[in-house]
Amino acid sequence: MDLALDDDQQAIAQAAADFLAEACAAPAMRAAADSADGMDRALWQGIVEQGWCAVAAPEAEGGLGLGEVGLALLAEQLGRHLAGVPFFESAIEAAALLRACGNPEPALLAGVASGAVLVLAAHATHADASTTPAGDWRLDGTWPQVPGAAWADNFLLLIEGESPRLFWVPAPELAVEPLAMIDTTRRSASVHAHAVHVPATALLAEGAALRTALVHARGLAAIALAAEQVGVAQQCLDLTLAYAAQRMQFGRPIASFQAVKHRCAQMLVAIESARSAVYGAAAVADAAPEATTLSFHAAEAWCAACDAVRYAAQEAIQLHGGVGYTWEVDVQRYFKRAQANRVRGGDPSTWRERVAAQLLDAAP
Amino acid sequence: MNLTETPEERTFRAEVQAWMAAHLTGEFAALRGCHGPGEERFDAALAKRWEQELATAGWVGIGWPQAAGGAGLPLGKQIIFHEEYVRAGGPGRLGHIGEQLFAPTLIDFGTPAQQARFLPGIRAGREYWAQGYSEPNAGSDLANVRTRARLDVERGEWVIDGQKVWTSWAQEADWIFVLARTEEGSQRHHGLSLLLVPLHQPGVTVRPIRQMTGGAEFNEVFFDGARTEGSLHLGPVGEGWKVAMALLGYERGVSTLGQQAQFRHELDLVIAAARANGAAQDPVLRQRIADAALRLATLRFHALRVLGAGGASHAAYTAKYAWSNWRRDLGQLAADVLGRAGDVVRADDAARTRLQQVWLSSRADTIYAGTNEIQLNLIAERALGMPREERKGP
Ligand SMILES: Cc1cc2nc3c(=O)[nH]c(=O)nc-3n(C[C@H](O)[C@H](O)[C@H](O)COP(=O)(O)OP(=O)(O)OC[C@H]3O[C@@H](n4cnc5c(N)ncnc54)[C@H](O)[C@@H]3O)c2cc1C
Repeated sequence: MDLALDDDQQAIAQAAADFLAEACAAPAMRAAADSADGMDRALWQGIVEQGWCAVAAPEAEGGLGLGEVGLALLAEQLGRHLAGVPFFESAIEAAALLRACGNPEPALLAGVASGAVLVLAAHATHADASTTPAGDWRLDGTWPQVPGAAWADNFLLLIEGESPRLFWVPAPELAVEPLAMIDTTRRSASVHAHAVHVPATALLAEGAALRTALVHARGLAAIALAAEQVGVAQQCLDLTLAYAAQRMQFGRPIASFQAVKHRCAQMLVAIESARSAVYGAAAVADAAPEATTLSFHAAEAWCAACDAVRYAAQEAIQLHGGVGYTWEVDVQRYFKRAQANRVRGGDPSTWRERVAAQLLDAAP
Repeated sequence: MNLTETPEERTFRAEVQAWMAAHLTGEFAALRGCHGPGEERFDAALAKRWEQELATAGWVGIGWPQAAGGAGLPLGKQIIFHEEYVRAGGPGRLGHIGEQLFAPTLIDFGTPAQQARFLPGIRAGREYWAQGYSEPNAGSDLANVRTRARLDVERGEWVIDGQKVWTSWAQEADWIFVLARTEEGSQRHHGLSLLLVPLHQPGVTVRPIRQMTGGAEFNEVFFDGARTEGSLHLGPVGEGWKVAMALLGYERGVSTLGQQAQFRHELDLVIAAARANGAAQDPVLRQRIADAALRLATLRFHALRVLGAGGASHAAYTAKYAWSNWRRDLGQLAADVLGRAGDVVRADDAARTRLQQVWLSSRADTIYAGTNEIQLNLIAERALGMPREERKGP
């Protein structure tokens, strides 16, 4: 039993940090965030070339074999840089769901590994699938707020109902309508299907098996998004430390005031705890856990990371004073991303209630 | 990074389980689930015999290197031992200060003669130690210690005068390590030495102090011409500060593994109480209980992350703050789950008594081994490199 990063893990984390420090420095991040569609395509190409999109895949399948831990390490670094790329959407969320469904369409996963952007559209306001006499499917529906949708090459469409169904559809078949965002570092769009016809093979999974896969993938995605939150929180702390060291008031750097020091120290407590939670949960996920074990540790990572980033982003603004309230200083971008991630992964109270049910309602 | 138990670890777990089942019986059954003073049934003499029972089987010093007479067990096995120990109802460990704080420091800084003299007694559960750091005017500001020691050259002995306070278990201990000023007129952390002093002698008076829990685990210790051999300084004379700080590192680090297993047991008691009295239906308490369980799992991951080989030393600074505040929150949760019953003493209700003790005793966790505020100063200054606190006067 040991949770220290091994050599491979340290190497990938360091390589990612170095690569992003160069390829996604603050000016590039801002440029992408202020651009028309928010995506940094040069960065994405670099990421694909480094093999990150296959970091979790087993080596036998051409991946790096670093599992959920590898994904978490990369997601953490991407969060730190607010990278405008669909790594989470495609290489984590959609890939996890495909794998949980038993990889029914291997070309899709292979596409993800080589940089084709696959995006999961869930939470439809209305959606319907019906078979046609020709034996294919007709899809109709609206998915009103799908993160990463404007960047997608292919979609996984989730149609809820008594028996849920998951289809894959090439993006050009759908109407994708970008939305104006508060968090401009990750764009959403609404996705519409009007009488879209897809072949029978486009149905990837359905029914109880799909439900189980959705819960499993939700856990994995939460752990990786938690890692991203840790990166966001870490950057909030680092920006604050740099500012506090040089901002003088009362004839001394504000970093020398104990109230300021203690706030920064508490940020670090929350961040390091969340990092431990994320690494531990990722290691659990890599060890073929039972469903209840995975959902417990996913909740652990997710709640810890959301708590940490909420505190860190809040204090980062506070300790910057007036400039913390400006558009110009980056902490506002981190603050917004933290909240966007939070609602995306689901409110921590929902996750805690799932755990409470495990602990308090199950037969003892 | 690896969380799966190896076959060897599984075998070891079974071994500990079997041993506990076979040995926490007979007279020791009375100690089952017993934590310490404040509980009526606590019996120090019996607790020491229990330490000897553990020692005979080789369960004392499991983390010490083999060269020092320990078992040299890797972290994973130490954790397994603590988990199974607590699961079986193993009582609070009277030998904790000697085994977990003093011995590792002795192994790092002691002379071969000192090690040969003191390690076997600790390892056998025969000799107990107390920690003589805090004084009435030296708490957080430990470098302000005034207890003095001068060398009586003729008899080759240190002569010690002064007072320590909040000294845990001094009333049951045989020896105390005393941070004392051995250089007259020295200031702050200069001129201090860590002296090893026998407690059973005319120059030493130990007076228990009653705690808010009702029991008396800590004491005042008065030194009035107390003596110890001239060779019994740990580390060089005048460099006791460094040794004292290294010991604090053990107090805040590996030694907390056993506590964590205890925390799990306490949380289980809170959960059982909530299920029994209906608190488990309260939506806010449900959130707090889930939160406690999740954060406890994280304390374990955190320990595995920072204490493992090549672990993240940076993160080690946050561990004490995290666990002590977790436990304080758990204490408040225990009281809130108990509700009105929490205010009524019922000696025959062991679970309730334990939860009341958790509530009260958890108030100490954020004070000893460096208060919350001192921890935050350390994190800010050491881990984050922020400016140091201003100090006034000498
Ligand atoms: C149950 C228990 C067992 C103990 N066992 C032992 C033992 O075995 N041996 C031993 O030597 N000691 C022991 N102690 C003592 C313990 O180490 C001290 O109580 C602790 O270091 C605090 O010192 P103090 O009590 O003098 O409080 P003070 O130092 O007077 O602190 C009072 C308050 O002021 C705050 N404060 C102090 N300095 C600063 C600062 N620079 N910045 C911000 N805030 C500050 C503190 O955080 C605290 O909130 C024990 C204490 C307890 C509660």
